[in-house]
Amino acid sequence: MTNSIFALIAEELGRIAADKGEALPSLTADSRFLDGDLPIDSLDLATLLVVLEQRTGQDPFREGFRQFTTVGELAALYTVPV
Amino acid sequence: MTGRPPDWLHPAFRTIEGEEIFTWADLADLPVPVGGVVQADRPSRVLAALAAAEAAGQGLLLARGASDPEGWQPGQGFTVTLESSGTTGTPKRLRHDFARLRGRLRGVAEDGARWLLTYDPGAFAGLQVMLTAAAAGALLVSVPGSGVVTVAALAQAARRHAVTHVSGTPSFWRAFLMALGDAELPLAVVTLGGEAADQPLLDRLAARFPHARLRHIYASTEAGALFAVADGRAGFPAAWLDDAPDGLALRIVDGVLEVRSPRAAPGLTDGEGWLSTGDLVERKGDRVLFAGRLDGLVNVGGVKVSAEAVERRLLAVDGVADAMVFAVPSPITGHLLTATIVAVPGVDEATVRAGLRAATADLPPAARPRALTFADHIPLSAAGKKSRKGPQ
Repeated sequence: MTNSIFALIAEELGRIAADKGEALPSLTADSRFLDGDLPIDSLDLATLLVVLEQRTGQDPFREGFRQFTTVGELAALYTVPV
Repeated sequence: MTGRPPDWLHPAFRTIEGEEIFTWADLADLPVPVGGVVQADRPSRVLAALAAAEAAGQGLLLARGASDPEGWQPGQGFTVTLESSGTTGTPKRLRHDFARLRGRLRGVAEDGARWLLTYDPGAFAGLQVMLTAAAAGALLVSVPGSGVVTVAALAQAARRHAVTHVSGTPSFWRAFLMALGDAELPLAVVTLGGEAADQPLLDRLAARFPHARLRHIYASTEAGALFAVADGRAGFPAAWLDDAPDGLALRIVDGVLEVRSPRAAPGLTDGEGWLSTGDLVERKGDRVLFAGRLDGLVNVGGVKVSAEAVERRLLAVDGVADAMVFAVPSPITGHLLTATIVAVPGVDEATVRAGLRAATADLPPAARPRALTFADHIPLSAAGKKSRKGPQ
């Protein structure tokens, strides 16, 4: 179950978009980060990963890059906190 | 301005900007910039201005928006002055000899080559791509936009025009791979520059575009285009310290890479022609690898930023008792600046956040610290200094 990570991504992405004066469209597991669906750029995505590390204590990229394109694929890289 | 194209522009060259297409005849019809200053926001404008300045034997300034070109003098003869995107908000200007700017470019006609411009048309790297495409008689594809062109728009243009040549920073490539998804692209040449290319990214690009030639180039505004590495490995061969390609000499002095190049900007080298690149390097086996900047600048998505300079701005904000800006590694942009803030007791956090945002609003987006956290103190190292590397 990655529902709670999904909710966390939605919350933080909403905050990042709001900081830029943008509204985030409703997010699904298939929403793609950088192909124009979402009002974010690569600096925003980099910011999201830093915030997720701050909030979960996990850095799935410590050992190198792992491919992800969608919100669902990113959520799956984090283990659910108990 | 009419007549034959300059000798650096192949007659078959065309450039597409969004929905507009320009041939040499269209470029020749564009107005000649006044006072030798052109807003370098579109390839068509820049190339037309270069041709006009060359024909007139005048200097040209490629202005990049923010700064005031008042007081700039074209000088004697055809030169090209570039503005760097300074992280302190004040751009540095550097005058180049046009022949030196073209440097390593070879005017080889490449039939059917279609280049994607991922860099700012007024930047050193952008100019290199434009001049390469112009000399080759290629099609140059760009996405017009005031400053911020999204990777999504570039990926869309790349697919639409089936580009064959793409040159970008490692941070661009990481984002581009994501934006592209599974789309097919007939890439023949994949070029990386502007930041050190890391091995995992080189491996991913080789796997994603198995038919493309993969190369990373090393260049700087001061030293010009230096060399290209085409073996798919990070860094460059240590053997080049004894015998470097393209008329270069390379040496390591106190851990810093120094170059002697026929393409270095004049006046910056020592008596024997050596120029410090400011890049820290390490020799590992048969390889020399890049290891950051001597001046502490970090590369955020291809933009060199100074954590110290940004920190000084944050410290000047009302309600801030202390602040530390530091770079964290990012799998997307190489690094990202982030900050820990200590607010003056009793001051509203939202007010401080608004002040912090205002204090960095005129910096390039890469230099604005992200993911700010508030704390009651800044942890210091054993030496009593702020630990610039941040929490490990």
